[in-house]
Amino acid sequence: MGDINLFPLYLSFRVAITATIFSFFIGLPIAYFLSRGKGKLLDFIDTLTNLPVVLPPTVLGYYLLVLLGRQSPIGIFLESNFNIMIVFTPTGAVIASAVVAIPYLIKSSKTAFLEVNEDYLNAARLLGRNEFNIFCTVIVPIAWRGIAAGITMSFVRALGDFGTTLMVSGSIPNKTMTMPIAIYDALQAGNKIMANLLVLIMTGVAVVVLFIINMLERKMKRG
Amino acid sequence: MLEVNFNKSLGHFTLNSSFKADKGVLGILGSSGCGKSMTLKCIAGLYKPDKGMIKLNDRVLYCSDFKINIPSRNRNIGYVFQNYALFPHLTVQKNIAYGVKHLEKNERLAKVGEMIERMQLKGLENNYPSQLSGGQQQRTALARTLIRQPELLLLDEPFSALDTHIKYLLEKELVSIIKDNFDGIVLLVTHNIEEAYRICDNIMVIDQGQNLQYGKKEEIIHSPANVSTARITGCKNFLDVTVLEELEHEVVLKAKDLVFKAEKRNIPYSRNMVAGVRAHHLRLSSTGDYGGSSFVCDIVEKIEGVFSTTVIVNCMGCTFQVEVAKAACPHLLGCGGKKIKLHIPPHQVFLMKRET
Repeated sequence: MGDINLFPLYLSFRVAITATIFSFFIGLPIAYFLSRGKGKLLDFIDTLTNLPVVLPPTVLGYYLLVLLGRQSPIGIFLESNFNIMIVFTPTGAVIASAVVAIPYLIKSSKTAFLEVNEDYLNAARLLGRNEFNIFCTVIVPIAWRGIAAGITMSFVRALGDFGTTLMVSGSIPNKTMTMPIAIYDALQAGNKIMANLLVLIMTGVAVVVLFIINMLERKMKRG
Repeated sequence: MLEVNFNKSLGHFTLNSSFKADKGVLGILGSSGCGKSMTLKCIAGLYKPDKGMIKLNDRVLYCSDFKINIPSRNRNIGYVFQNYALFPHLTVQKNIAYGVKHLEKNERLAKVGEMIERMQLKGLENNYPSQLSGGQQQRTALARTLIRQPELLLLDEPFSALDTHIKYLLEKELVSIIKDNFDGIVLLVTHNIEEAYRICDNIMVIDQGQNLQYGKKEEIIHSPANVSTARITGCKNFLDVTVLEELEHEVVLKAKDLVFKAEKRNIPYSRNMVAGVRAHHLRLSSTGDYGGSSFVCDIVEKIEGVFSTTVIVNCMGCTFQVEVAKAACPHLLGCGGKKIKLHIPPHQVFLMKRET
């Protein structure tokens, strides 16, 4: 067996990019509110957003199955109204990897937001701008490097996710089999060429991303 | 006309602010953590007071009774921050234009151009704040604020982060820019009495969240109403005194074994009071005599400054700090233990209520 099927490569990138986009639009507002406010509720949300980092992927996958599976209220609702199934579909893979990736985006963006001097925001307020406008014209432009580092980090996390994705979307060849799963699968089947190729690609991506993050963080410190 | 009357609690700290300000520069003087910055931030709407009222030129900005709290962006107040808070990602031109985005493009560009000209920032339009000198940063910050034609200008310790030599220049420049370009109410927050005295017309002294005294700057320096005001305005000598006798123009005071006189002023006198006299108003001399207000004293210690020497003397059980110009008194230098005379000018001695 030495077939090379590049579908996992394509699927992985598609899933990781979609998951990163989702985590960006969900994670950035969360990061903003966590950086602005104080209080027990926000502390709780802060802890909650870090949970995916600490929990074993299988546990996370189990929760997602319970929450979104075909027997769950959400699963039943989606299936009966929109004929959408999440479990064992690429959509499930997107959700699983987004959940794994989002904490990195939130953490990095939150830190970057916190470093924006409060005086800049106050100055903008007194110059007649509202909070949303200030977010777009002051906070994001000043914090963009931290946000970009968060995006790249969450992208690699989404790309590399194995356990949670496997739990939620399984490993159906040519449907839900992403790269990390394909590597495992290829090794199991003794397809060394395929495994080596995928491992090489994953390593290459990881090195490039780490390089980008390092560059961004160095520039961020220099200001 | 700015009318302020509010209070705000922060943990154990309570800020009570109540004053009125008209056109001109009002200095808010106090040590750090006394609530002077908080006062400005409440007026600007960056913090919400607990209770009270803030009114600017017949416009109510905040009123707890009617639940009015106009957001900062609609208060039309200019604010210059300690480090100017210029947006680091925007050029000088874009920083100045930031507050007038609502104007139509041509009008906006014309206004910004005019402001750049007036603030002598020509040629620096495309520089970023990090590429500017301190003076250029200050002018950009003022341009950014004044272009909106605020009714009230708030200056929050604008010089406290600067070196002494540059501070002087910037202070002069700030005063002249404000005089030429702004005809409204200015509040300046500072912990430096010298700075407040040079820039302001009126001074308000704050300590621990309370307004202590508000008046003309000369009046505040000449007759502080209480010990805290005297201390914050730089007075070094305080004596617990007993008022022995009230004469027509003077009062006779006794502190330990020292009996001296103070000019009689229009304040209520009681038996036990505190007398204050500023270090630079006292005179030391080894030969001359100033009549009835000179006393023999011992030099305890000398602390040499750059331009003046602080001499600590003991005069019949009372300790005084005397500031002597270095050039004026060469004979005092290096004369430890020598008997000399201390002159306490009665018209410079002020009396205050004893605080319990």
